[in-house]
Amino acid sequence: MSQPTWINRRDFLGDVYTALAGIGLGSLLSHRAAAAQSWTPGRNQTHFPAKAKRVLQVFCPGAASHMDLWEHKPGLDKMHGKPLPGEENLVSFQGKNGTLMKSPWPFKPAGESGKMFTTMLPHMSRHVDDIAFIHSMTSKTNTHGPGCVFMNTGHATEGFPSAGAWTGYALGSANENLPTYVAIPDIRGEPPNGKANWSNGFLPARHQAMMMSAQQPIRNLQLPSSVTKAEESASRELLQFLNKRHADSHPGQSELRARISAYELAARMQLSAPEVSNLASEPASVHKLYGTGDENPLKAAYARNCLLARRLLERGVRYVNLYCASRASGVDGLLNWDAHKTLKPDYERHCPVFDQPTAALLTDLKQSGLLEDTLVLWTTEFGRMPTHQEGTTGRDHNPDGFTCWMMGAGVKGGTSYGATDEFGRRAEENVATVWDFYATVLKLLGFDHTRLTWYHNGLDRRLTDVHGHVIDAILT
Amino acid sequence: MRREERVNLGACDAAWKSLAAGCLLLGLCLTPRYDTAADDQVRFFRENVEPILVGRCLECHGSEQKGGLDLRTKATALKGGESGAAIEPKQPEESLLYDYVLNEEMPPKQPLSKKEIAILKQWIEQGAHFPDKPLDPFAASTDKRAGYDWWSLRPLSSAAPPEPAGIPAAWNKNPIDRFIYAKLADKKLQPSPPAKRRDLIRRLTYDLTGLPPTPVEVEAFINDKSPDAYEKLVDRLLASPHYGEQWGRHWLDVVRFGESRGFERNEIINNAWPFRDYVIRSFNEDKPFNRLIREHLAGDVIGPGDPEIEVATTFLVSGPYDDVGNQDAAQAAQIRANTIDEIIRATSESFLGLTVGCARCHNHKFDPITQDDYYGLYATFAGVNHGSRVVATAEAKQAHAAKLKPLQETQTQLEQQKRELEQAVTARADQLAEKLQAGWTRPAIKRTGTEETFDPVEARYVRLTVDGVDSNPNGRTGYRIEEFEVWTAGAESRNVALAANGATAEGKSRVAQDFDGAYSARQTIDGRFGARWIAQGPELTITLPQPETINRVLFSSDRSGAAGNHSVATFVSEYRIAVSNDGKNWTEIVNSRDRLPVNDAHRRKRLFDAAITKGEHKQLGDLNRKLREVRGQIAAVAPLPSWWVGNFQQHAGPYHVFGGGNPQKKVQTVVPASFSALDRTAKPYRQEKELPEAQRRLALADWLTADGNPLPARVLANRIWHYHFGTGIVATPSDFGFMGSRPTHPELLDWLAGQLLKTGWRLKPLHKQIVMSQTYRQSSAYREEAAQVDADSRLLWRFPPRRMAAEEIRDAILQVAGKLDKRRGGPGFRLYRYLQDNVATYVPLDEYGPQTYRRSVYHQNARAARIDLMTDFDSPDCAFAAPRRAQTTSPLQALTLMNHDFTLDMSAALAARLQQESGKQNSVQQQVRRGFELCYSRAPSAEESSACATLIEQYGLRAFCRVLLNSNEFIYLN
Repeated sequence: MSQPTWINRRDFLGDVYTALAGIGLGSLLSHRAAAAQSWTPGRNQTHFPAKAKRVLQVFCPGAASHMDLWEHKPGLDKMHGKPLPGEENLVSFQGKNGTLMKSPWPFKPAGESGKMFTTMLPHMSRHVDDIAFIHSMTSKTNTHGPGCVFMNTGHATEGFPSAGAWTGYALGSANENLPTYVAIPDIRGEPPNGKANWSNGFLPARHQAMMMSAQQPIRNLQLPSSVTKAEESASRELLQFLNKRHADSHPGQSELRARISAYELAARMQLSAPEVSNLASEPASVHKLYGTGDENPLKAAYARNCLLARRLLERGVRYVNLYCASRASGVDGLLNWDAHKTLKPDYERHCPVFDQPTAALLTDLKQSGLLEDTLVLWTTEFGRMPTHQEGTTGRDHNPDGFTCWMMGAGVKGGTSYGATDEFGRRAEENVATVWDFYATVLKLLGFDHTRLTWYHNGLDRRLTDVHGHVIDAILT
Repeated sequence: MRREERVNLGACDAAWKSLAAGCLLLGLCLTPRYDTAADDQVRFFRENVEPILVGRCLECHGSEQKGGLDLRTKATALKGGESGAAIEPKQPEESLLYDYVLNEEMPPKQPLSKKEIAILKQWIEQGAHFPDKPLDPFAASTDKRAGYDWWSLRPLSSAAPPEPAGIPAAWNKNPIDRFIYAKLADKKLQPSPPAKRRDLIRRLTYDLTGLPPTPVEVEAFINDKSPDAYEKLVDRLLASPHYGEQWGRHWLDVVRFGESRGFERNEIINNAWPFRDYVIRSFNEDKPFNRLIREHLAGDVIGPGDPEIEVATTFLVSGPYDDVGNQDAAQAAQIRANTIDEIIRATSESFLGLTVGCARCHNHKFDPITQDDYYGLYATFAGVNHGSRVVATAEAKQAHAAKLKPLQETQTQLEQQKRELEQAVTARADQLAEKLQAGWTRPAIKRTGTEETFDPVEARYVRLTVDGVDSNPNGRTGYRIEEFEVWTAGAESRNVALAANGATAEGKSRVAQDFDGAYSARQTIDGRFGARWIAQGPELTITLPQPETINRVLFSSDRSGAAGNHSVATFVSEYRIAVSNDGKNWTEIVNSRDRLPVNDAHRRKRLFDAAITKGEHKQLGDLNRKLREVRGQIAAVAPLPSWWVGNFQQHAGPYHVFGGGNPQKKVQTVVPASFSALDRTAKPYRQEKELPEAQRRLALADWLTADGNPLPARVLANRIWHYHFGTGIVATPSDFGFMGSRPTHPELLDWLAGQLLKTGWRLKPLHKQIVMSQTYRQSSAYREEAAQVDADSRLLWRFPPRRMAAEEIRDAILQVAGKLDKRRGGPGFRLYRYLQDNVATYVPLDEYGPQTYRRSVYHQNARAARIDLMTDFDSPDCAFAAPRRAQTTSPLQALTLMNHDFTLDMSAALAARLQQESGKQNSVQQQVRRGFELCYSRAPSAEESSACATLIEQYGLRAFCRVLLNSNEFIYLN
């Protein structure tokens, strides 16, 4: 019983897709589990009917402040300048904290639900009735790098597969001419901990995100300038000829045919990917909606990435990771949402970059009907303190309470789930974890998060580690 | 739910009754009845009850005492937990334990079988006998977990090689073949005939050196008719220095060797390469592996002052760790615990093949490893810190100090003279204060906005020259400016210093190479506040689109005032502003000299500058020059080598188990000690007394390499087998526990481990034994009838074909193209551009120069750096140990190998080589033939030759070479 059952490789290498999934031990052991449940990864099969077919995850790195963007805290207005009760001498990531600090901008009711919403995001305020906020998120780390990696992979150390990689592994491709999983980094650089955020981890290399943006095409996609199309096609023909002869003389080695197919896939990708990136084909009205021509170059660049994200999603990319802002620069809050010292001017720079393009993307998805089976996630790695940092007008890191939200396929709009205490210091009501968040995401994608596993170094690993409960309250 | 409530539920009640009746019946039929004699009770318990309690209950109701219940002893079981007594002896119906299992409430996920329930009932009826000693959940393996008797924890068996009937003579010589043949015969499988010599030399050369055989070597081997032709080949390859490069690379995978720190900052590590060279050297020298293990853990104690041994402790600190720093004490403790955890995992997985890391928060769920075991190791490594240390012999250290001493003395003298001179000037300066201060009539400059108005002047260029920075009166750089506005004179005054209207700004800036606008001077004219130019020079020059008549400038580093005095908005303090119409002739229009100084330090600087005489000024200049010189000389003395070998600090206990892995929850104390699971085989140790930190690591190393410890040799023998055949006898080379796979040939594995010990832990004799076997030398040809039985050839009815690893592919491309630079050792090369701006970014290169044409083992592998060919072909991210490489196929590989410049460069180089090496005629046919020999170690068929020739005639040799390098035959081995 405890002996792993060695599955006949050909049983699941029956077609090209699964052959491409690799023949690592992880897949052998994981397929064993999958086979027992009559579910095969990578073949567009799910554990149960899915609400979402694809995912857009917008990530604002740097710990975007929950009480300044999403969760109204009137307690801060009342107690502004007074010590945080019970934690008067709080020392957090960067050091000592001062007194409570109210949000620099007023909140106003938005949408039919009348949710109190920051006036700093006027475009986003029009979507509140479609959003399910989770105001009670918690993280296990107060450091950006591990925090981002935790929010993306369910583990605070590097080397684990990201949610997009798991999704690609579970579902496989919906358009074989395009990558299954795309990461769109910001023009300002990569997020904290860089490429570990969209890594395949120990899953096969093909599940890593392809990195691309409106500013930067997919690597190695273009035919080298010194090779003509005619040479390319004649070369591929000879390659095919040699590979086919070789494969014919080596029966029983399915990898050889899989590699031939991979070359064909790559050739098709070379034709399809440039078309996706051709934003010029969009009408002027769309460009205006997103703000791609904005005089603020950061906003224009992010707007173009938003538009690219929509084009990827509508062409069958399963999972898009879209970043708004980047890494820590040593100047806190300059390149991302990490407003340690000067919250107000920092967010007066970041909010306008984020607001209109993101809102436009949501509007566009909704109008085109794509939102019906697209799950939109907004995430950040943790929250910020209700106090100001001693000697500054900024806020320090706070892993004990923050907001993430979902929208679209299967999500109950106009919901606010959970809450932090009256100041925003700690998640208090319906405390939620990153694992709960992804248990919910996987459910919407049609998967039981406890059954999506991969053997690695001693354990059947999961996106949700050994935790996670589906947050049913925000589902339709 | 409380018991009373539950039994009152009608539906449940009915179900309960019928189930109980059923169980009773089954119980009567299925379980052996013993009479109540004491001996029988003991036996009944041991054979029937204990497996249920241990296998299904103790996970939670043992040391974890969930719900307060501990079922390890009779006393605690009778006492019960939060819901009350668990067992009423002789009254199953009154016993909560029986009630819970009967109602399938416990165990929670998978209820007990009816038979098991009946056993428990009978046991309680008979009085619930318990043995005197507490139940040990690890006592025996179950179908849920491994116990002390787990196969890999047992002593090495000394089973003699079997003597299977009907074994062919050739297979009856090498004991390995007898083990393999016997298992094949069990399954009615026949081994395959010997491989062709061409296949064999490719297989062996790649296996032992990671490189392709040259055409000359292939030819010679095929034509060598001597009976020991193959053995000579084996001996030659094992003696090749490339052997260490290939097998050292395998070991670097196992020990998760990486050359960046990982996590958010991920700074590159430029002094870890000596460890890579040490590993390669150790393999080439065939250093006994038990010595290598001891050096890895305690090289600083075994060979102090011997760099070649001290370097080995890089092993401890070559994993990723979080060096961001954290003022939150609880988080800082957690980060430190994570760092030590990483070392524990690396050590236990590399040498023991046990996933000890799983016992961090609770006893291991699958293997007999306790939290005490884990924290014993924690205590062992508590003094290990990541970082560099000088590694040099005592003589080298003395010689270095002798060179430095006179220079340092000169430096001290000069510094003293300078101090005295400055003090003299300062003493006079105070007397000038009153007079000077009278001229400071304007307010001090302000970060929120410093304004200068002046008579209207026509200007195309405006320049700010900085003579002081508010945080440092002597600084002229490092200040920040968010906006620098230049306003026109007259009515409807406009700010003309705006990039949007065509103005430009120049000034040296801190640079972020991944986002060049981050701190650039353009920030000063972008019309937005908050983001700042970070100056790295004393000048900012604004160029207007056309000449304008101006009369006012306004500049700031913190218009909103949000930054206060914080260094994020460090500002200018002393400055001059000049204008120009041609950019060559400048007129100063205003300066800060008549403003109040921003603080006392600036005030004193102004006084000092006024008081110093010309003579003193020159004197000070001379002293500064001499100081610069001597500092330069000090810097020029070749420093002692400082390597990434870790720093070891005495660290005092007591050490505790962290409850749930949380350093804030200290539970029982522990001491550095051996693993309890191996107490039966290897002599245990416990360091009750506080010992020097190094002694803890040494004790662990000694225990690992002690005679009775079966795991290190077994794990090592399996790794060797794994790399020769593609899959180990145990397919999970770093996990010999319950979650790992079971050995296909356990006796063979122990025999190999025994061989290893017999030859004094030397690997080369074991390699030879393996590759000389018929098992290794058989053909890889596919046989349908055998594949039906054993598709993956785990029983080795054929040699399993494999795809080459990323390093082998890259090295082979370089080798066949004639470009491989075989220089060994030293600092590595990079296939990425390294950017650092607070955090590191690794950008893969589009073009590789000849400095990168070395073997891939010398690549400086950074964490979270994706590098085209290497990553695409499954070279692992060294965030984790990679005891087994994946072998995946993806379109990414095709894109990289078809389109990256590297392929084109190498194709061109190979093309040039084919031209040169295809004889006098230099015909296309000969070029094709040479290409096949180099890449495939064979000649082309006529059909292949003509197909290739067609491409060459149309598109040239380079096109053909690009196809060869992309072809399957080039990267698959048979």
